[in-house]
Amino acid sequence: MRHLISHAGPLIMLSAGLFFSVGAVTSLDLGSFRRMGPGAFPLLVGGLLCLLALIGLVQNLRHPLPVDHADPVAVLGVTGGVVGFALLTPLLGVLPATFIAVLTTAAVIPGFRWPMRLALAAGVAVGVWLIFVLCLGIPFTAIKGI
Amino acid sequence: MDLLHNLALGLNTAATMQNLIYCFVGVFLGTFIGALPGVGPLAAVAMLLPVSFYLPPETALVMLAGVYYGAEYGGSIASILLNIPGTPSASVTCIDGYPMAQQGRAGVALFSTAMASMFGALFGVVVMVLLSPRLAEFALLFQPAEYFSVMVLGLVAASIVSTSGVVRGLMMVCLGILLGTIGVDVNSGETRFTGGIPQLRDGVSLVVVAMGLFGVSEVITSMRGTTQSYAGAGMIGRMFPNRDEWRRSFMPAVRGSAIGSFFGTLPGTGQTVASFVAYALEKRLNKRADQFGKGAIEGVVVPESANNAAAQTAFIPTLTLGIPGSTTMALMLGALMIHGITPGPRMISEHPELFWGLVVSFVFGNIFLLILNIPLIGLWVRLLRVPHYFLYPAVIVLICVGVYSISNSLTDIWATLAFGLVGYVLRLFRFEPAPMLIGFVLGPMMEEYFRRAMLLSRGDATVFFTRPGSAALLLVAILMLCATMLPWRRWLTAGLSRRRQA
Repeated sequence: MRHLISHAGPLIMLSAGLFFSVGAVTSLDLGSFRRMGPGAFPLLVGGLLCLLALIGLVQNLRHPLPVDHADPVAVLGVTGGVVGFALLTPLLGVLPATFIAVLTTAAVIPGFRWPMRLALAAGVAVGVWLIFVLCLGIPFTAIKGI
Repeated sequence: MDLLHNLALGLNTAATMQNLIYCFVGVFLGTFIGALPGVGPLAAVAMLLPVSFYLPPETALVMLAGVYYGAEYGGSIASILLNIPGTPSASVTCIDGYPMAQQGRAGVALFSTAMASMFGALFGVVVMVLLSPRLAEFALLFQPAEYFSVMVLGLVAASIVSTSGVVRGLMMVCLGILLGTIGVDVNSGETRFTGGIPQLRDGVSLVVVAMGLFGVSEVITSMRGTTQSYAGAGMIGRMFPNRDEWRRSFMPAVRGSAIGSFFGTLPGTGQTVASFVAYALEKRLNKRADQFGKGAIEGVVVPESANNAAAQTAFIPTLTLGIPGSTTMALMLGALMIHGITPGPRMISEHPELFWGLVVSFVFGNIFLLILNIPLIGLWVRLLRVPHYFLYPAVIVLICVGVYSISNSLTDIWATLAFGLVGYVLRLFRFEPAPMLIGFVLGPMMEEYFRRAMLLSRGDATVFFTRPGSAALLLVAILMLCATMLPWRRWLTAGLSRRRQA
């Protein structure tokens, strides 16, 4: 089963190559050799990617490269942190969003005690304020309403 | 005389308070990131990209460069004390550094790596000063065909060092180039592959790609890997090497620096290859080869002088030809382009203050690093005892804030997350993201030169092989591809392990 999954790697690349080369042929002007259109170069590189992906697939059929195990909890923690930041920034401002995003990501790290997580979140929020607002003067809404 | 004049100009630029402060910030952050295994210098440079928008270009470059070569110093600390390389290029330093620490000579090892790093770096700076203007002059003769070929060479070089094989490296390069074609085509004004999304008209932002591929996906990969603190980092012992150790270190440092300087100038090979080759070669030349692997001082001096020399000379192709010597260099090129500076042979003559200011800042930066790494070494040793998982949530949020700070756009944050997840999946399938980034940076320039070369040759594609300069460059690229068929890795590691067992 893992062998089968391993072949998905080159297949992903093949589909990306096909996407760009087919997209170039169908929707862009290829031009002539002398005066190349916007589609010529993507077609060329996309074709090359397809070729390489096929070579990679053949290599993989002979000696499959192992696939690493995914860590869904880490993915969830990081995704949660980023999503939290993106959703909360317009609602509450950058600093509260920072605080909650740090907590969300830190929550999935084992062995990290809650007081430490809270301290880290507060520390990062202060750091962001110091670097981005105070030193660089970036026009953020630091905390909504203030 | 010309050289003195240029160096004076450089001193003028580098010795301003602002540039000195940013140089210090850069090397400090670099040492910090290098000392902690987990987050690499690449992620650090990516994270600093948005900050650099708010600085003048030379200040931005001085800081980013400081992170890059500062990490080379920091990387050896964890190698010596914990037998875990802080950066990939410091992995060779473990072979003799860790035994030295076990024998209670960690202080001597740390002191001599700092000295060797400084020696190697300054050696590299001298090579850079002497070589770059000449190379740039020579490169002025290049026509579009040569530029295209030199980029092909750079991309091939970037993909052959990929650990999962050259074919996968090349695939990632192609993917990066294709990603670079998204947006408005500069020649025809037509939009390409935007899928009707207006935000994509300007193309995918370098910051978003770099932060996603190297920041977000790297954190996901290593966040839950090691959670223990490295309590083992303990006694340092005496710092100063004795006279005999000084004497034995000198020639290896010279040889290491020379080899490092050479490998640094080759696009794509970088510090890791330099330190491996220098160590392997030193063992053939050194009379005390039987001591290597048992805590020989030469064994830490050689790789450290080599990787620091390479870190400096990697700027030569980057700044004279516009071909990044490594992935971090590709990011720095990107930073320059964002500031409206086109890297290439004309850069030294058009922006002399930038080039020479950077060169002089390397000297200052290395002095700062020596101070950080010898009198203040205790700080880093204590840092290694702190569990470093606290870093990962902070990195993720700093990425978000950094991306958001560019144009207060939430779309950019979503895009960064998407690239991070794509990068993570590709990592699981053993595709390294580094060549993709180099392809992404070079892709648009490459297309431009390709189309121009074809126009000049009236549609004759053989121009890349009939112009001697272009043909020579392509030949080198082909030879490099052929050379990957040889079992280099086995030769090098066989040489290393044989000595280890002896």
